[in-house]
Amino acid sequence: MSDPMQAEQAHQGLQAQSDWGWLKDWRASAWSQFAATPWPTRKTEAWKYTPLKSMLDTEWSLAEQPGTGTGTVFEDWDRTVITLVDGKVADHDALPEGVTVRLLSKATPEQRAQFEDRLSKTLAGDQLFTTFNQALLAEAVWIDVAPETVLEKPLHINQVLSSSANGRAVPVRLMLDLGGRSQMTLVETFSSESDGPVFINPVTEIEVGDSAKLTHYHLLLETGDVRHLGSVQAVLRAHSQMNSFHMALGGVLKRKDIVVRHCGSGAHLQLNGVYLPKGKEHVDYHTTLEHEVPHGTSNEVFRGIIGDEAKAVFNGRIHIHKDAQKTLAELSNKNLLTSHKAEINTKPELEIYADDVKCAHGATVAQLDKGSMFYFLSRGISRQEAEVMMSFGFINELLETLDDEPVKQLLRPMLAALFAKEDELARHLV
Amino acid sequence: MLNINDLHARVEDTAILHGLNLEVKPGEVHAIMGPNGAGKSTLGNVLAGRPGYEVTGGTVTYKGSDLLELEAEDRARAGVFLAFQYPVEIPGVSNMEFLKASVDAIRTARGEEAMSSMDFIKLAREKCKAVDLPQDFLKRGVNEGFSGGEKKRNELLQMMLLEPSLCILDETDSGLDIDALQVVARGVNALRSPDRGIIVVTHYQRLLDYIVPDYVHVLAKGRIVKSGGRELALELEKHGYSWIDEEVA
Amino acid sequence: MSENIDQYLKSEYSAGWITDIESLTIPPGLNEDVIRLISAKKQEPEWMLEWRLKAYRAWLEMKEPEWAHVVYPKPDFQALSYYSSPKSMEDGPQSLDEVDPELLRTYEKLGIPVHEQEVLAGVAVDMVFDSVSVGTTFRQKLKDAGVIFCPISEAVHEYPELVKKYLGSVVPQKDNFYAALNSAVFSDGSFVYIPKGVRCPMELSTYFRINEAKTGQFERTLIIADEGSQVSYLEGCTAPMRDENQLHAAVVELVALDDADIKYSTVQNWYPGDAEGKGGIYNFVTKRGIAHTRSKISWTQVETGSAVTWKYPSCILKGDDSIGEFYSVALTSNHQQADTGTKMIHLGKNTRSTIIAKGISAKQSSNSYRGLVKMNPGAEGARNYTQCDSLLIGDKCGAHTFPYIESKNPTAVIEHEATTSKVSDDQLFLCQQRGIDAEKAVSMIVNGFCKDVFRELPMEFAVEAGKLLEVSLEGAVG
Ligand SMILES: Nc1ncnc2c1ncn2[C@@H]1O[C@H](COP(=O)(O)OP(=O)(O)OP(=O)(O)O)[C@@H](O)[C@H]1O
Ligand SMILES: [Mg+2]
Repeated sequence: MSDPMQAEQAHQGLQAQSDWGWLKDWRASAWSQFAATPWPTRKTEAWKYTPLKSMLDTEWSLAEQPGTGTGTVFEDWDRTVITLVDGKVADHDALPEGVTVRLLSKATPEQRAQFEDRLSKTLAGDQLFTTFNQALLAEAVWIDVAPETVLEKPLHINQVLSSSANGRAVPVRLMLDLGGRSQMTLVETFSSESDGPVFINPVTEIEVGDSAKLTHYHLLLETGDVRHLGSVQAVLRAHSQMNSFHMALGGVLKRKDIVVRHCGSGAHLQLNGVYLPKGKEHVDYHTTLEHEVPHGTSNEVFRGIIGDEAKAVFNGRIHIHKDAQKTLAELSNKNLLTSHKAEINTKPELEIYADDVKCAHGATVAQLDKGSMFYFLSRGISRQEAEVMMSFGFINELLETLDDEPVKQLLRPMLAALFAKEDELARHLV
Repeated sequence: MLNINDLHARVEDTAILHGLNLEVKPGEVHAIMGPNGAGKSTLGNVLAGRPGYEVTGGTVTYKGSDLLELEAEDRARAGVFLAFQYPVEIPGVSNMEFLKASVDAIRTARGEEAMSSMDFIKLAREKCKAVDLPQDFLKRGVNEGFSGGEKKRNELLQMMLLEPSLCILDETDSGLDIDALQVVARGVNALRSPDRGIIVVTHYQRLLDYIVPDYVHVLAKGRIVKSGGRELALELEKHGYSWIDEEVA
Repeated sequence: MSENIDQYLKSEYSAGWITDIESLTIPPGLNEDVIRLISAKKQEPEWMLEWRLKAYRAWLEMKEPEWAHVVYPKPDFQALSYYSSPKSMEDGPQSLDEVDPELLRTYEKLGIPVHEQEVLAGVAVDMVFDSVSVGTTFRQKLKDAGVIFCPISEAVHEYPELVKKYLGSVVPQKDNFYAALNSAVFSDGSFVYIPKGVRCPMELSTYFRINEAKTGQFERTLIIADEGSQVSYLEGCTAPMRDENQLHAAVVELVALDDADIKYSTVQNWYPGDAEGKGGIYNFVTKRGIAHTRSKISWTQVETGSAVTWKYPSCILKGDDSIGEFYSVALTSNHQQADTGTKMIHLGKNTRSTIIAKGISAKQSSNSYRGLVKMNPGAEGARNYTQCDSLLIGDKCGAHTFPYIESKNPTAVIEHEATTSKVSDDQLFLCQQRGIDAEKAVSMIVNGFCKDVFRELPMEFAVEAGKLLEVSLEGAVG
């Protein structure tokens, strides 16, 4: 057994605090799995381009007392907020009708039984940091939305790392079960007020019920020395729809494993994402679409701009199972490198075991289009400004597909500031 | 204002312009006609400074100085405007952003003050109306998903906003319906002024019924092979280009 | 698709007979003595033996690769024989006229021109039978042009300086498990040298035939195109139908010096095993070329045979403005498995590469494209275009695409596209409605699908490849 991340003590400490036998076993089994897994190297396919060396430099401990912080602020947006600071629920608005929230840390005996049921269903698979999350899980927020509930207001899970989170590992789990024919918007934001190093290890599990419709945002907005290693796992039931938007801005190391399973036929997934590493940042998105049943459709678009000495990794796998006939699945990944020291590694994968399907993927690594550049120049716009506008446009194309104006209003200035280092240039973008 | 003298130019490895001469004085409207592949768009692109178009001989003087010395954006700022035959689509960049950036750049170069956003939006809307484009085209990506005719109107919209001193319209009339043709003509006629030169590249004499040119030129095989007044256009319409070939030969 | 089609189509591997000939085959097993024996049989100089032993020792330390998308029982390397030669070849015939006619008939039967006066006079042929070359045609004519085309075993004696300089220069002994094994035990293969500025006057080709049971074939090919020269080389492979799997682990190295142009085409039709997946060749091949300034290396492959294929003909685009191309059709049927593709490593400025890969999977087979496009920091202005298409025939097969794209240069442009499709009922119906039967219709559709690759093959090969597909697909519609 090995403990490369020096986290065994944290695990044992956590176990000692609990009297919940089932939970302790559940965590212990994950710990042994984690400890038995060889630490990833360049030869480990899933980690080929993302070295984890930096995770070994800290003896990670769990936060005892959460700090304070406000996190991502949306101006003028009517929503229901649940704020978690350092992985603990700090504050939440009154919940709308049809929505129940259970907390692992405060589970009643009756709820314990429900948690046991729910958590047993989840699969860590071979995701190293989903396993880690299970082994050190102190808090899980389980949101249950009753069937036929239409939530007018978005639900915002506001995850904050406080300034006292330095040296902490923050495993946290969010579970959302959206009942049949229900509709809602879930916004997950991650932000940090810590100087770091801090390790946030979130797992989001979503089940979209029959004919339900979920709009989902998963926005990693932490900056500074934050290592964010986590996963999103979604199950789509028959005729459901999920529209999921991901973004990674800032932070030294970000890795997100996204797995969406089509488990009921006729479901539709739109999965979009944007990554914009700069400086010495490293971003890695690994996405897997599991088409397990016939008649599912998926459309995935990820775009990245990689600057300075940053690195980005994208791995987009589409897996069509044997009986998933009539599947339509498409993936596009486009990248712009803007510096001689920047690096992109992308691998769109198709694995297909059914013949009556239409699948396609495309990946590009390119510079800004020369023809478009000339169009800008011929209208008197400077090269520098044209570059900024085109880079922004490259990302904005995805932003424009978002339904929620407030999210756009939150993200646009952030992006504008990122692209146009001078306000001067930003003025055309917002 | 524009003086082209013995201009030779190539694209990639193909020589296309072979000693082209043309003079445009302020206030004049010149129509250029000619068979497909003659080099009309090449001329426009060379004047606008498109990368990949290499001038191999001759001179182009614009307002008394060497135009070929300038970068593409500086030519635009000096008042040279090319309405493209095939405008590119730039998804993700809104037409409004694009127009504002362009108007700002050109006004700044002219020493004028930048327009306030409010004023600009008002102006843009007004011009939209003038070219018969619905307002929501301002919000869409530049030319993104525009029909052929809409793209041409968008070019015209830009031209009206930028108020250039030399306008080059490369087949802005192609692909337009009759009403749109009149919109274009009205726009161009509105810009006609004693201190502005206009070059209209077209295949149809019909446009010249609306935009009455001072001169008509035939560009063939990379050269102006014949020049005349309006009546030349009528003759071309009747007889095609072959008689010119014979005459020149 | 209609079931009855299956009934009247029967697939037949037409090259599956055995040449009845007396062979000298060394006993199974692999150790340093076996390597010394192979080397001794070829009367090799000491340096060659040392080179082999070095590779062998490295191999002992290596593990068989696991990452490919193929499943097969690992070969027992001690159960194979590493050298087999027709007995008649032991006497060292001096010319084609002295070669055992039975051997030559093997090639004639496969449709390969072994006599110089035959119709396909534009092609010179080297015939490799198990572990030895049995003859090479047009040697004189080529010699007159300064071109060297001979078995590599002979080149070791005749042109040791060239061999020493280039052997292992593109695929080092320790490159990978199978390359190391090949380096240790390689028996024969072709050696080509085209001098400066020479355009090779005819197509060169090698036909590989595995005949003997329980042997492996480990050929080694080395092609050097000196500055400004040009050559087109073809390679064909067949083997008898046998119930046990046989191993073929080849290494091909191409060196294109400045301004040279090498075109390497393969039609691989090793025995694929029977309909139940029994028997067939394990084809584990390392092919790589290095392209110097302004040179060009073009790989074209049509892969229809073998039970398991593991093969990635690659280009190292070292010189500025060099070009790499890979055109591939890989067809799998029954229980065949293929994991094939290419690597384009862009080192030089303005290097270009094009990859067109067409995978066709039928029945229970598995067909994977695996590729790497890598832009190193120095690859200013480099470009790659990749198109991978899969065609599925039947709902029990698998088609997979694993393209790795790595870029460290902002001026490099990479475009990758992949699609999958099936021969649709609508397409079939349209053909049938116009009076074309299903078999013909499928073959037309498949040929259309492969057109971009076939176009790259030399004429004679293109026709052969089309026919081969047709035969391999027989019985796939159902
Ligand atoms: N990038 C290029 N590379 C090679 N040839 C080119 C290129 N661009 C244009 N040409 C060729 O140059 C010639 C002149 O083209 P140009 O577009 O100027 O013609 P045109 O007179 O505008 O024709 P049209 O009336 O059809 O618009 C044509 O033969 C064209 O094919
Ligand atoms: Mg034109």
